[in-house]
Amino acid sequence: MIQLTDVYKTFTVKDKRSRAKKQIEAVKGLSLTVKPGEIYGLLGPNGAGKSTTLRMIAGLMQADQGQIQVCGIDTKAEPEKARAMVGYLSTDLNVYGRFTPRELLRLFGEFQGVDAKVAERRGMHLLEKLQLLDFADVKMEGFSSGQKQKVSIARALLHDPKVVIFDEPTTGLDVLTAKTVLDLLRIMRSEGRSVIVSTHVMPMVDEICDRVGIIFDGELHGDAAPKQILETWNAKTLDEVFFQLAARSAAEV
Amino acid sequence: MRGALLVCKKEFMELSKDRKTMFFTFLMPFILYPLIFGMMGKLSQKDVASRKGKPSRILLVDSTQVIAPVLKADAKSFELVAAPQGDVKQAIRDQKLEMMLEVDPEASAKLTQHKTFSLNATYDQSDDSSGLALKRLKEALEKQNTSWVQARLGVMGASPELAVPSRIQTTDASTPGLAVSKVLGAFLPYMIMLMMFAGSMQHGIYTTAGEKERGTLLSLLSTSLPRNQIIWGKLIYVFSIGLISVLINLASMGIAMGRMVPSVASTGGSAAQGLGALSSIANPLTLVLTFLLMIPLGLLFANFIVLMGTQAKNTVEAGTAIMPGFMVVIVAAVFSMAPGIEKMAFLPYVPILNVSLAVRKLFSHQANYLEYTIAFLMTVGLAGLLTWLSTRLLNRESALFKV
Repeated sequence: MIQLTDVYKTFTVKDKRSRAKKQIEAVKGLSLTVKPGEIYGLLGPNGAGKSTTLRMIAGLMQADQGQIQVCGIDTKAEPEKARAMVGYLSTDLNVYGRFTPRELLRLFGEFQGVDAKVAERRGMHLLEKLQLLDFADVKMEGFSSGQKQKVSIARALLHDPKVVIFDEPTTGLDVLTAKTVLDLLRIMRSEGRSVIVSTHVMPMVDEICDRVGIIFDGELHGDAAPKQILETWNAKTLDEVFFQLAARSAAEV
Repeated sequence: MRGALLVCKKEFMELSKDRKTMFFTFLMPFILYPLIFGMMGKLSQKDVASRKGKPSRILLVDSTQVIAPVLKADAKSFELVAAPQGDVKQAIRDQKLEMMLEVDPEASAKLTQHKTFSLNATYDQSDDSSGLALKRLKEALEKQNTSWVQARLGVMGASPELAVPSRIQTTDASTPGLAVSKVLGAFLPYMIMLMMFAGSMQHGIYTTAGEKERGTLLSLLSTSLPRNQIIWGKLIYVFSIGLISVLINLASMGIAMGRMVPSVASTGGSAAQGLGALSSIANPLTLVLTFLLMIPLGLLFANFIVLMGTQAKNTVEAGTAIMPGFMVVIVAAVFSMAPGIEKMAFLPYVPILNVSLAVRKLFSHQANYLEYTIAFLMTVGLAGLLTWLSTRLLNRESALFKV
């Protein structure tokens, strides 16, 4: 279970020209809940606040205001405990190129408090699912971005997390591998995990998300099943919803 | 602490995968120093032997033949040569001869009249062989002067001892190897500081800013490991690498010097004898106390490197940020070699330099335990302060996501 209540996050940036400091509100009063056994799609254009929200849920960042709970654990009060519940994957993450997938998974298993042998066994199982088992003992330096992404997915799921956060999980993957990842997400849903994904790939949202939240300019616009969102916005596709939001935002400015 | 050790293990595992870095960090010193010291020893031996074994070539201008017999009598030290073609000074600079000696044309008459005559020696001060020629000439003349004075006193019916009113006899108060130990004491802090900083710098950058640049730091931070343990793990790694670098380099230098010391001393001997000589210079207590000081010093350097590395966006920025610190270490290291610094009253209170001073005094057999304690505690305090700061700063999101 993921629960965000009235979350705010502000960044301070420096204007290069005027040298003045500016406050940018990345997330404004965001509240959402992802139940166990549910896949929640967080949609929005670049810079809307998706990644910041996911990083806050993953315990990599702290909210300025509001509360974030992961399986009932406050991410601010007990960040380590909360992170132990989370499997986090982002396009910003890379793998340690000098290691083989087997070595990396053993090591990260230990980091997450899993016995090295158990971690290895689970890791090999995940690599098999992701069709990468043949490369388990090959140094990752020469891996393609898709292969690295697969290893990252295995790394994120290694400690059997109750909450899965995938930021752009299919980026860089070919169609077949992307399908494997989506199947994996479905399995995680069926296992009762709370899954939150951010993506730009709209067909993927239609295919797997139970509910979606559209985030625009740091605010959540709509939090419902994809079909309901389309009905509410009187749109045929989610892309259209984006355009309407963008037009509304431009008019407000 | 388990998390910190796991992170440290990860860093060492990464290092172990890089064979080139492993070779240059752990094996290269064992090849380099014996090679350098061996070459230095051979060259120095060869140079000394060639200078000592060869007589100094002198162009003697002595129309009265007063000095010629003196020089000819010592064929081992002097060889009289004919005037070279062209400028004599240039010939000396070109090492065709070591010296030109012009004797007063009235030397013989002045000697008979019990007057002083002069000698004009032209030599090259910048050349050791030329300097040796002057030294030999002075020694030969001193003997000859005494003999002349004693002859004059004999003619006057006075005691020949009038020419030698006093004689000096020396007793060496130093213990065996103290001179070498003092040189080591001045040299060692310099080596320790440079090796510790330089040895860990690149590894520190790789594991901090490098992880950020490669996008691997976030995956580490997304685990349930506490942030402070992540930073401590990296600190332990950078510190360990610095310490290992120093120990490997010193061990290699020790072995190389052990081989060089007896041969340079012309006593002839094996590496074991050389090491024996070195071990008599540095007793176990000195080595243990020096090692103890290296721990907080290494932590201080590791903290600085990790602190700068975590705050930098990338490895280039980290390198640029760490470089001024390295310059400070170089200046401090060079300063620590300066003669007479142990007499500066404020030095025990200057961080880093007080470590040099303490090590220097330990090796000079002048250990001051109050100064040692001050240096130790001050360095521990500073290292602790920097650890606290780097842990705090790694928790700052602006530092983590500044990529």
